[in-house]
Amino acid sequence: MEGKSEPNIVVRMMRLWGIAAWMDLLWVTKDLKQFVFYFGAEALLSVAAMSTTLLLAARFNGIGAWSTDQVVFMLAYSTAVMGAMETFFNFNVLEISRRIGRGQLDHVLVQPRPLWVAILTEGFCPFSGSGSLLIGLGLLAWSTSRIGIAVTTGWIALLLVSLAASCAVVLAFSYLWGSLAFWSPRGAEEVCSSSNVMLSALRPFPLDGLGPVLLGGMLTFAPIGFVGWLPARGLLGMGPSWQSAATPLAALLFGIVASFIFRKGLREYGRTGSQRYLSHGHRR
Amino acid sequence: MNGLDEPHLVNLVNPVKNAVSARLRGYGKTAAMAATSVAGESPIFLLDYAVRFLRVALLLSVWRIVMARHPVAGGMSLGEVLTYTLVAELFAEQFACRIGLEDSLWDGNVATRFARPMSLVEQFTSETVGKWAVGWVLCSIPLLLAAPLLGVDPWPASVAAGLLFAVSMVLSVSIGLALEFIMGALLVWFQLSPWSINRTRDAIAALVSGRVIPLALLPWGLGRAFEWLPFAAAVSAPLRIFIGAGDPLCLLAVQAAWAIGLWPVALWMWRANRQRLAGYGG
Repeated sequence: MEGKSEPNIVVRMMRLWGIAAWMDLLWVTKDLKQFVFYFGAEALLSVAAMSTTLLLAARFNGIGAWSTDQVVFMLAYSTAVMGAMETFFNFNVLEISRRIGRGQLDHVLVQPRPLWVAILTEGFCPFSGSGSLLIGLGLLAWSTSRIGIAVTTGWIALLLVSLAASCAVVLAFSYLWGSLAFWSPRGAEEVCSSSNVMLSALRPFPLDGLGPVLLGGMLTFAPIGFVGWLPARGLLGMGPSWQSAATPLAALLFGIVASFIFRKGLREYGRTGSQRYLSHGHRR
Repeated sequence: MNGLDEPHLVNLVNPVKNAVSARLRGYGKTAAMAATSVAGESPIFLLDYAVRFLRVALLLSVWRIVMARHPVAGGMSLGEVLTYTLVAELFAEQFACRIGLEDSLWDGNVATRFARPMSLVEQFTSETVGKWAVGWVLCSIPLLLAAPLLGVDPWPASVAAGLLFAVSMVLSVSIGLALEFIMGALLVWFQLSPWSINRTRDAIAALVSGRVIPLALLPWGLGRAFEWLPFAAAVSAPLRIFIGAGDPLCLLAVQAAWAIGLWPVALWMWRANRQRLAGYGG
């Protein structure tokens, strides 16, 4: 509109997060039964995902070099990471292959905002999606006090950077796989759910006992180690100090590769468009 | 011959024989279609099998770490626990017993299923067996072959244990299918999204069935309480029979009791819910 300047991008993103939060609140209040079941199921699932490793640690007084409280810390960390993904990248923003495969990326591309802004703001659901995040953060605080870590400003900064980096690795990994849907919309539509299941199913286990080949694979091809195990080791001061820097570095590398592949896919999408819709609107 | 000569007997037996063989052919074709739908759609499904390989490798490594200081725990040696873990993964699909009922309700194809010349139970069961065949060929058999490389003995405790395990697996699948139909009926009854009920069930089953941790190794005596639940009857019981832990006849009796008890409930719930089914999408 003439005479009206574009708001600062940060302000704009805050507004978009606000709109998404409001719509989420409307959904919660519109159907309380669905919300209770959804929220309860998510919370129960995050507890159950931790329970296997937690019960093992309780039964055997820890797992290898990890004490029970340290195991709780690692589990809480990875739960907070996956919970943050559910809170900020819901509605198939994390499962981007579904949107690409179903031709729904068009719905985002026609909107007057950059794609990256849409990705960062559209999936925000702080009310319905925050069950795992709250449990993770609560357990993180509890286990930190139990272990007796000296909580300094530096340590909190490292925790926040590590959490953000782990989230970035998960997002990049999902977009790396999800980009396949640009070339194979139908065949790869569900690839993100498989890649995300890989991360969430394997994240509760400490990787200490694995051989070098398998461990290397779990830090590169399937970066499960960056979701909980390695950053937790860094934050707990287990092993060499370079471990603290490994997750942010991995986030940077995965981000660059995912961004390159995703842009390549977008160019392909620009040439071919969506092949999934028939002229009368139905999906093939 | 009670007044029936041979041609009469043939006339009576042949129609029955033909009907049975037509039925079996129908099951086979349905299973084959389900199998090709999995393998033919895209190779992405192989990722799920990769997750299973990685999960079993991780679990085996965790057991080796925790049992290094406890050679025998809950009456089980490290070797038995490793065998238990591997066999649990080999039969993961049978233990989970997911037949896609919720998806069918969600995408609306349940409506067209009523028009097919086969009952819902027969359709879903045949399709599930077909999908299992793919899982067996691409995951379970390779995993079984890789057992020596993983340092795991994949054989049952004895020949008798192996035979009883086969019987136990039949009961296990029967319990799993009954639970699946009960969950599906609950989904219709409460008009819930399939994800909520699926995830709740997964969360409960992972904890109480003994699929990941043998119930005997749970702390605080939890296992003794869980072993009487249907989830444990479907998963823990056959695995215990396989490794020779526990009285097999008692375990089979508990499984049979659940199978007999759950199916009437499942069928009644489906009948009671039939009119509530609504098909959207498609």
